[in-house]
Amino acid sequence: MIIVTGASKGLGRAICERLIEKKVNVLGLARNVEDVPFPSMSCDVSAYESVKAVAQQLKKDGAKVGGLVNAAGIASMNLAVTTPPSVAQKIINTNLLGTIYCCQLFAPLMLRNKLGSIINFSTIAVALGLKGESIYAASKAGVEGFTRSFAREMADFNVQVNCIAPGPIDTSLLKGITSEQINKIVSQQIIPKQFRPDSVADLVELLIDSRSNSLSGQVLHVGGA
Amino acid sequence: MSSTDSVKSEVFSQIALLLVDKSLTVTDDMALIGGDSVLDSMKLVELCLALEDKAEDMGFEFDWTSDAAMSRSRSMFRTAGSLAAEFISQMEAKK
Repeated sequence: MIIVTGASKGLGRAICERLIEKKVNVLGLARNVEDVPFPSMSCDVSAYESVKAVAQQLKKDGAKVGGLVNAAGIASMNLAVTTPPSVAQKIINTNLLGTIYCCQLFAPLMLRNKLGSIINFSTIAVALGLKGESIYAASKAGVEGFTRSFAREMADFNVQVNCIAPGPIDTSLLKGITSEQINKIVSQQIIPKQFRPDSVADLVELLIDSRSNSLSGQVLHVGGA
Repeated sequence: MSSTDSVKSEVFSQIALLLVDKSLTVTDDMALIGGDSVLDSMKLVELCLALEDKAEDMGFEFDWTSDAAMSRSRSMFRTAGSLAAEFISQMEAKK
């Protein structure tokens, strides 16, 4: 089973749909799973106890977890000086702590079998230092640092931990960003084009495949940075 | 042997299974973390998972990830004796 957070929309949803298409057993997690048409559980990744409850349930059910995709995330494009503290807190809680909580609590389900792949999500905003994304980039830079260290901690258990850092992918997360702004970011990528969720799903498929188990602790930039 | 002695013996057995040097005997003051530890970090995680399974067989949940467990973890994992004591304490609290 592959656990995918942020499964109700955006990249998480696209990843779930792709894995299901490839006959992978997927469990989607999201705060609201009412309209999720595949196996799912309600979970707020920013709340430790919520993640723990899911992990306990999976253990109780004897679920064989082979992978975790931490796709849940929020963004707020704003200058740091005009971002309210509550928003900054929410971004860090969801993007950074949410990733850490899921790794902490779901990894033991993989350690038992000494097999697994964990995929975290960063952003091209970290590599490019994009204006107006400082808090979002800070949360994701934390995810990158966590990924590199956590990959070493998991290596002895044959669990690979990597990070995908997309540019501006066409999802609801880009709501409110003008096409001019998107084009400006895209022009700074090595491959200057806007990629679709499918390209991210391709990478996820690659990273959960056992043939990529020589890769760990890496940050893969969609579009190149 | 009392039931707590028998549980303590179970915990020590789990530790013994993970020792590289099989000639060692698990004692109360055997260090599990720090410079004198007989287990590396990987073995310590394996021990936690084994104790989690053991607790499940015994009808309770061994919590080694909560704030409460971690705030005591300096002493909980300090020695085989302190780990056994914590395991027994969680078992009795959840009865």
